[in-house]
Formats: sequence, structure tokens, C-alpha cells
Amino acid sequence: MSFEADVDDVLGIKDLHGRLVATGSRQGALLKMIAVDAEYQSSELFSELINALISCGYQAGIENFFVYTKPSQYHSFTALNFHLLCTSEHVALLEYGRGINRYLQQHAPLQRVGDNGGVVVNCNPFTLGHRYLIESAAAIVDWLYVFVVEENCSSFPFDVRFDLVKKGVAHLSNVSVLPTGPYAISQVTFPDYFLNNSTLAREQQVQIDIQLFGRYLAPAFSIKHRFVGFEPYCATTSAYNNALQGQLPQYEIELCQFARIESDQGAISASQVRQLLMQHSFDNLSQLVPETTLKFLTSSKFFKQVHLDPKFRRH
Amino acid sequence: MEIQSKARAGTMQSSDVVVFVEPADQLTIEIESTVLKQFEHLIRQRIEQQLATLEVTRGLIRVSDRGALDYAIDARIETAVRRSMEG
Repeated sequence: MSFEADVDDVLGIKDLHGRLVATGSRQGALLKMIAVDAEYQSSELFSELINALISCGYQAGIENFFVYTKPSQYHSFTALNFHLLCTSEHVALLEYGRGINRYLQQHAPLQRVGDNGGVVVNCNPFTLGHRYLIESAAAIVDWLYVFVVEENCSSFPFDVRFDLVKKGVAHLSNVSVLPTGPYAISQVTFPDYFLNNSTLAREQQVQIDIQLFGRYLAPAFSIKHRFVGFEPYCATTSAYNNALQGQLPQYEIELCQFARIESDQGAISASQVRQLLMQHSFDNLSQLVPETTLKFLTSSKFFKQVHLDPKFRRH
Repeated sequence: MEIQSKARAGTMQSSDVVVFVEPADQLTIEIESTVLKQFEHLIRQRIEQQLATLEVTRGLIRVSDRGALDYAIDARIETAVRRSMEG
């Protein structure tokens, strides 16, 4: 465990002598940096601490909480009615509030039986490349589910990205578009805080992310195929695709990688689009994005809702 | 009484129960408990009784129980329902 400053609440409990005997923090829906002095570990201090962290979260409007712990320690959380979502070799992910059940119930009307496929996309923003991937995938499955990453870590806010995906695939009759919730590519499924060794940490995170897809999302929507675009630029995405290739078969899901379509400037990517936008060169955009996205990019809404920052927000 | 907004009562301490209520068209009771296998039917019965006493006929009621006794269940349910009416 290591200290991270980027949290919303930090709580501590002191004994009568003023000595710190328990501490825990909350970053959004994620509880972290939880530690209780060995002397107090059999007491009610732990539940008091977690209770206080969750109360803070409720006041901030959060109703569903997550925690990572060692697989050997998860019982202390299930004793508080946390539910074990999945475990990898080094970490266990637990949830408080049964959010996964609610998420699946909420989207139950979209469930269809068949030889279905799924894609998980950020679409920051929706390009001709995304459209090509979705069209190609939809052509070979009964029904295609497009999960749009809900986490707001991108220059285009979720509502905008979601709307552009919906408009961009409206011509396809066997496609549903839905949000990922926190259950794919989110702050929860990709926490970089838990393990110090960063390569190991990334591997564990990817495992958790793929497990959530394989164990919860895919069975609910009868997904037997997952589609990704071949990733020529980003090392993280490329490593993620390799991990999918290795791990999806154990859930009886087949991974299909599609080559990217190209424009005059090489493979089409959303980062290319953002670069052009930052240079205010709107002329070449029509080669990269469909009409629906172009309409948004040239509207006044674009300037109000999107803030491009060259320094971060790669995706 | 009518559940008018989201509200919560109780703690995660042992022998206590956390009750969450929110408005809904139907009455639904969801129970999580560390003693679910042994006592779910009794917990549910007690919650239904208390809701009937309070004349609550609809809403989503979620309880996360750690072995609370009947009077604790009653008190937490009533508090959560009353809080939901304070807006």
C-alpha cells in the first residue's frame, strides 16, 4: 500500500492517548488506503471506519462503493455485506450496494438470446473507424452490444460521446448502445493504486476488467464474440487487446481484431481528430468522422461542452 | 406514510442494520444479511410488519443487516421512512 493524495475524504480514528489506530480514504466510489492497528483488528473499529467512509460517500451522492483488497482479506468486507465481484491472483474486488445487479436489471430489456457480440468503446469522439468496427461486427453476429465507457476522463464528456455513438450507428438495425457503468474501463476496474509494481498492477487491473466482462456483462447479453480494432499507436490499448486474446477464451468468448480503416493520413483514430480540432483545421475532418459527428463538431455546442487539453486526456 | 426521497438509517456495526429507502411505484424489499440463510424469512416478516404499521405501501426498501434484533430493525425502518419525508 502506498499513499496517494488524490482522494475526497481521509478519516482517522485515534485512541485515548491520541495515537492514530485506524485510517481509511475515499476517492469517489472507491475506498482505499484502509489500515487498522494490529491491536484493534478484532474490534469493531474496522466496521466503524468503513461505516464512516460510506456515510461521507452518501453525503456526496454516491450509493455504490468498491474496494480492492488482498484475496486473503476479503472476508472482513463480506462480513459487512460487501459482495465479492472477482478475484485475481493478487487482488479481490468487492462492491457494497449491489450495483452490478441493478445495472443488469436496468438493462435487462435489451437482453436478447443469440450468437451476440460486444464492443467496449470510448469514442472520444465517434469516428469513421468506430463506425467501420461496429458495422463489420454487426454484420457477423445476431445482435451487437456497444458499451460506451461512462467514466468521465475524456475531453468529450460522456453524454456527448454516448449521443454521437447512438447517432452514428442509428442506421444499423441489430445494435444496442449502452453505458458501461463502472463495470468496464473505469476508475474502479483500472485503479493504479493498489500494487506498487506497476507492470504487475496493470496486469492485475486488466485481469479484473476482463473478468467483470466475462463473468457479468457477457453472460447477461449472450455475448460470444468481442470485437476490437487493431491498435497501431497506443501501447496500453495494445497490451489490453493482447490480454483479451489470452483471457476471453476461458469465458467461451472469442476475440476478433479488425484492421483499422485508413484515410490519407494513415489509420483513422480519435486522437487524430482531437489534434485537428486543436489546430482548428476543420477541413480535413470529413475524411475522419461521419456526418453525425461532424455536425456536432461544427455546432456551437462543441465549444460549450468540449474542452481539449493537449497535456493529458489521451483517450 | 409515503417514501418521498432517498434516505438511510443505521450503521454497519455488528447487531445493527442499515436501511435504505427510495420512492418506487411498488413495494420491493431487498435483504442482505450476514445471517441470511438462517433468518431471511424472519427479517422479511419483521420489515413487512413494521412497514404495515407505518402504512408504507410502496417504495424500494434495501436492508444490509449484521444480525440486528427485532427492535433495532423496527427503529431503523421507521427512522429511514421518516427521514425520507423530511425532504
